[in-house]
This record gives sequence, structure tokens and C-alpha cells, in this order.
Amino acid sequence: MKIGAIAGITFKEAKRDRVLYLLFFFAALGIVASRVLALLTVGDRTKIIKDVGLASISVFGVLMAILIGTGLVYKEIDKKTIFTLLAKPLHRAEFILGKFLGLVLTLFVMTAAMAAIFLVLVYVHTLKIEGALLVAVAYLFVELVLITAVAVLFSSFSTPILSSLFALGFTLIGHLSWGLDLVVQKMTPGLGRTLVRVLATVLPDLENFNFKTEVVHGLPIPPGIYVSSLLYGLCYTAFILALAVLIFRRRDFV
Amino acid sequence: MVSAEFPKKAAGTLVLAGLLLLSAAGLAALKLSLDRIVRKKVPGSSIIYVPSGKFLKFATFGYRALAADAVYLWSIQYYSTPTIDDRFDHLDHVYAIINELDPRYQDPYEVGAMIAVQGAQENQAQRPEVARNLIAAAFSILDRGTANNPDQWIYSFDAGHVALMNLKDYALAETYFEQCMRIPGAPPFVERLRANAIYKKGDLQTSWETWLDIFKRAPDERTKRIASNHLYQVKAAIDGAALERAAAEYRKRFGRLPADLATLVRAGLLREVPKDLDGRDYVYDPATGSVRTAISPWRR
Amino acid sequence: MADALRIQDLRKDFRLGFIPKTYKILRGITFAVREGEIFGYLGPNGAGKTTTIKCLLGLIHPDAGTIEILGRSYRSPRARAALGFLPENPYFYDYLTAREFLSFTGDLFGLDRDEKAARIARLLALVGLERAADLPLRKYSRGMLQRAGLAQALINDPKLVILDEPLGGMDPLGRKEIRDIIVRFKDEGKTVFFTSHILQDIEMICDRVAIIVGGRIVRAGALRDLVSERVLFTEAVVAGVAPGAFAGLGESVSVQGDRVLLRLYDESQVDGVLDLVRSNRGRLLSLSPRTETLEDIFVETVTRT
Repeated sequence: MKIGAIAGITFKEAKRDRVLYLLFFFAALGIVASRVLALLTVGDRTKIIKDVGLASISVFGVLMAILIGTGLVYKEIDKKTIFTLLAKPLHRAEFILGKFLGLVLTLFVMTAAMAAIFLVLVYVHTLKIEGALLVAVAYLFVELVLITAVAVLFSSFSTPILSSLFALGFTLIGHLSWGLDLVVQKMTPGLGRTLVRVLATVLPDLENFNFKTEVVHGLPIPPGIYVSSLLYGLCYTAFILALAVLIFRRRDFV
Repeated sequence: MVSAEFPKKAAGTLVLAGLLLLSAAGLAALKLSLDRIVRKKVPGSSIIYVPSGKFLKFATFGYRALAADAVYLWSIQYYSTPTIDDRFDHLDHVYAIINELDPRYQDPYEVGAMIAVQGAQENQAQRPEVARNLIAAAFSILDRGTANNPDQWIYSFDAGHVALMNLKDYALAETYFEQCMRIPGAPPFVERLRANAIYKKGDLQTSWETWLDIFKRAPDERTKRIASNHLYQVKAAIDGAALERAAAEYRKRFGRLPADLATLVRAGLLREVPKDLDGRDYVYDPATGSVRTAISPWRR
Repeated sequence: MADALRIQDLRKDFRLGFIPKTYKILRGITFAVREGEIFGYLGPNGAGKTTTIKCLLGLIHPDAGTIEILGRSYRSPRARAALGFLPENPYFYDYLTAREFLSFTGDLFGLDRDEKAARIARLLALVGLERAADLPLRKYSRGMLQRAGLAQALINDPKLVILDEPLGGMDPLGRKEIRDIIVRFKDEGKTVFFTSHILQDIEMICDRVAIIVGGRIVRAGALRDLVSERVLFTEAVVAGVAPGAFAGLGESVSVQGDRVLLRLYDESQVDGVLDLVRSNRGRLLSLSPRTETLEDIFVETVTRT
């Protein structure tokens, strides 16, 4: 399957990127350092370990997705390997999807590795495996998939540095957009409020994938949110990829 | 050509190596001497200038709990640094930030209040107004704890404890213990603490009724005995107050204290001489007019 | 015989710069390549050769015109299923080995595993990369990359092979090998379309050519028709006769010792020279007529336009 073939070589290429291992090293360091940090606290030590561990996986996962994703398409164009590739009986959409899936696969491996270290550390401290932690990591991964799509989108028409900034901006907005609901509450009904409402619906809400606080405090997560969040992530990803294919199809490779 | 180059290159390497070693030694020595200079270091105190936790919630991009952890860890180091004289000035503000970021993080409520009370005790002698502020801060933190975590009884309990021990405000203590009692999971002794607070407050009648209620509902012998002892104490207080009042009245009328309690009955100031809960007589001291129990309530 | 490639009035403008300035690159290209022939596409640098190829490969979207590849519109990716393409400077994934790269290319055509392995073995042997097959492409020389590129262009056993400057940067032995391979393609029934600056090679193997200058086709047709067999001049090298004796019988180009190189523009002058040599008991060392070459046509066309 052609998308699979492209995904395969993308995975091979991403595997060779040293940035990946550097970030993984820092993530592992962060997770293990949480053990040391926990010594400074008075009270519940496990909370510090869980918070820092999940934050490490989250931060470095996002960095991996952005730093590698934004170079994916750009490098092919810059190095002109795309000429021979697109000369094959291939839809441009297959190319974009292949690149995307290759990176998703890479991130899956990396996230699993970081999660393994994290869970081992938690187990050493609490002598039990908490399924809830896996849920938090799983939804972190859904967020990473969406951010990867965004990185690929920007990579299809912009340089790596600009793409990285845009993708980072997307992530930050995604974690702030819940604030728009508060703004809406304080506004008087009218055009302005409708506009803000529209924005609040359309802008990405990455908090939907953020179960870190609930999981650490052992709070219950409403069951409806699992499916809805996952579908939201998949829908938004599909939207971004469709946009990427749309832009990529019109490009001339001079 | 090569042999002429080689000594030049070796000399160059030597110079560079020398420079490296010299600068390394220099920076190590300077660092040590700089460390010895005492500077008023207030690590991370810029947190004071953060207006409130509401602002930080936006700046943390989904890492709220981690930010709460970070501020909490910092606060522990900060408050355990005795050389920072004015560290207590913004205690409530700092813990308010932590609580706002992660309202379900339990440790900061208790530890914050504990630090506040500790600080109050330290400053009681020299700076009583600081101590007062700190106690207020302790209550503020614990109230937030209860508000954000209505299922946790410990904050009301801690607050009642502070009211009881530090403020000796028994009415306040009673309110907190009552609040605590109502939270499911609160330990049984809280109602006893409340009853005792009512006693200390001076409302003997309510205290008697409360202790009687506890006595009747006591699930085991030990509780029954405790309740009984308290009932003894309350009755003794009620009786003693009445007797002493009568004795003072006698002295007003007759110019001197009565010789014994029976005299009071004969004088018509008492209907009868009350006995303690066990049926024993109270001990009356004719010299001072004071009444006490023959035996300690706790050694019955 | 059907057309393997048919291009009709192809136009493309590029808009470059902050204040967009339009550059007309292709101004209405029309030509056709018949099945089974070797077609040469010539032009000076910047004429639009590579742009034409990129248009038919779908890398660039033309502004106007039609392109038909083996009967299919160029717009559909399936048109490229029987196509093989070798770009001018080979750019491949340098972390893959030649074998891995060919395997990946084979996957893009949907070849099954066994067929793919058989073809890879055959192609590696054809281009002479069997020994280096498992080295990463990073370590290949320019010539080796060119061979690898040729192999990937043939993995799908294409009916139409498109080569952009396939002979550039190769040593004479390499060029001969590639020329032989191209001719072999023709024998196998494939159609070959290639661009080149090396006109001698085109002359040697092409059936038909088109010359593109400034975005337009200025000459097109069978090589035989374009290059007449007219003799431009005859060069003669004579020894043992004084140069002065040849006055009036053509130019004396150079004199070395007792050898004279003459250029004779008239056929009758040849007989005159031969008589002179015989009468002076000289020696005729060489006599070579020089016909019009493709290079002559090319230079004349380009300078005229």
C-alpha cells in the first residue's frame, strides 16, 4: 500500500534524527528527576512524581512532534527528493498522509518508551500500576497526533522555523481557548459575543485531551468524555490534513 | 615543511592548554569567593508580585498542577529559611496561588496553615501584630481548603484546633468542630471536642445537654466513661458555681462566709446541698468560700 | 503508430518576486513522441526543457494546454504508471541503500514481493551496481547515483522513459553504456524521451528531435530530415607540395613542416588538388568531407531566434 510505503521510509528517516533522541533523553531525565524533586516536598511525594512525569512526556512529546514534523515535507522539497517521488503514480494526498502516518508511528514508539519509564518509576514508588495514568498518556498521544498534523500542514508550504513557530502558537492557543468561555460569560449579547462564541468553537481546545489533573488526584472522569474527546481529536486532525492536502495539491515544484 | 610546522603547532597547543587550565582554576576560585559573600538572597520571591492564581492559570497552558507543585516546593524551601525575616508577610497570598492553581491539592492547605501557626508562635512575643496576621492567614487557608474540598473534614478540624489552642476562642472552635462533625468520615471524637469547647466557652447548660446526648449514644464503654467524666465535670461546675454564688450572698447578708454548706440551706439560700454525679459531697473551704470536687473527674 | 506522448499548446507563466513579475516560460509547446522511437529534446539553458518535463510529470501545473501520456490525460496519477523518470541531478534518500530505495520505489508501483525482488536483481545487474547495492546512497559517487537513478526509472518496466540530461557528468565509457542502454530500450519496444546538451550523442541515437528556444518549439522533425547530407566542405591533408601551389584552389588552413591542411568548399576543387598532388609527386594523407551536423543546425537555429 503506497501510503504505507511512504510511512515506512518516513519512520526510517525520523528514527535517524538525533533531535528525537536528545528530546527523549531530556524527557527520561525529567521523569527520573521527579524522584529527586519529590524529596523536597512535605506530604504526598507521589503527586510530584506523577505531575512532573506526565508534564515531561507532554512537553517533550509536543517538541518532538513540532521539531520533526515541520521538517518532514520541507526537507523533501529542499533536497529535491520529491521530484522522483511525485513522478510516480501517486496522489499528492497519499504523500501527505504517508508522511503524517510515519511520524505518528515514530511518536507512538517514543511516547510508549517514555510512558514505560514513567510507569516503572511510579510502580517503584507506589507498588501498583494505575490504569488511569495510561489513560492520561493515551490522550496526551491523541493531542500529539493533532499537533503532528498541524506541523505537517505548515511544513507543506513554509520553512521549518516559521512552521515551528506557527505550530507552537497553535498549541498555546489550544491550551488557552477555554478562557474564551469565561470571556463570553462576561460579555453582553450582541455581535461581539457571537463572534467570540464562534471563535471558541472553531479554535482548537487541547484541554479536551488534558486529563493530567484528574488522573493525579484520582478524580472521576465523566465516561462520556472519552469517546467525545477522541472523536474531536480525530475530526480536527482530519480537518487539518484535508487543509494540508488542499494546499499541497496546488503547489508547483520548480 | 612539516617538521618546521610541527614545533609551532605543538607550541600553539601548549599555549591553549595553559590558557584552559588557568581560566578553569580562576573561575573555580572566583566562584568559591563569590559564594562566601553574603547577599540578601530571597529565592523566587518574585512570586509575591503575581497578582493572583487566576492569572497564572492562563500562563501555565495546561500544566496547572505542575505549576502548583513548583510553587509549593518553592514555598517549603522559602518558609524554612529562617534568615528571611519578612517571609511571613505574604504567606496567605502564596498559598492562595497554589490553591487556585490546583484546588484539589491537599498538602498545601494543611502545611500552609501549619507554617502560619508556627510563625505566629515564633512572633507572638516580639511582633504580636505579625502573629495576629498569621493566625488570620491560617484560617483563610483552611477555609479555602474546606470550600474547595467539601469532602475533607481535616481542614475544619485543623481550624478548630487552632481556635482552641492558639486563640483560645472557644466559640469559634465550637463552630469549626460542628462544621467538621457534619462531614461524612469525620472521626467520632470531634463531637466530643465540640462539647468540650462549649464547656470552655462557659455555656454549661448546653454543654451538659451535649455531653448527655453523647453519653446516651455512646457505642462503647470507653466513650461512655469519657462522656460520664465530662458530665461529672459539668455538673460540678454548675453545682460549684451555684454554691459559691450562695456563699457570696450569705457573706453579703451575714458579713462572713458560712461554716459549711448545710448552713446555706438553713439560711434559705439553697433548697438542698447538691451532691456530685457519683453522689459524693463537694468539698467546701470555709476560709475562701470555694467549692471543689472530692475527686478529680478523670480518676473516678 | 500511436503517440506515446502528445503535448498540445502547453503554456506556463511564473510569477516571482514581492511585486509579482510574470515570466513566460512556456509559450505554447506542441509536439508528439511516437511509440517506440527515441526522441531528443534540445534547447539552450533556460529555454524550458525541464519545465516541460515537470509539467508532464505533474510537478508543475500548466496554465493552458493538454498533455496526453500513453493515451491518458496527464492529470491522473495513473498516467504515470507506465512512466519512468530520471531527473537531471539525482536526489534520493541518502540514508537508504540502493536495494532499499529500489524496494521502496517498487512498493510505490504496487509490485508484489517476488516480482519486485526479481526486478531489483535484474536492474542492479543492468546498471552495474550489484557490489554497491547495500551501501547507503550517501556514499555513492555521481556516476553511481546516476546508475541508481536509471534503475529506479525502470523498476516498473515502463513503456515511456523520460530522461533529463542522462549523459551529463559521465565519463566517455559511462556515456557509451547509457547510449547502449537507451538503444536497447528501443529494441525492447520502449519509447525514450530525453534532453541533452551533448549533441553528438543525440545525433547518434535519436530518431526525431525538437528544438525549444525561448519557450517555443522552433524546429522539430526526424533527424534525417533536419540534417541534410549536404557536404559543407572537404578537408584534405597533403604532403610534399609547396603551399603556394594551391592558390585559387581553396583555403590553406595550416602548414606543419611539409604538411598542408586545406579546406575546399567546391567539389571541383577536390579534383584540382588531386591532380596537383599527382603531378608534383606529393602524398595525399587524408581526404574527409564534412557534412552538416546537428550542432550546426542547433547553433544556426538558436542564433537566428
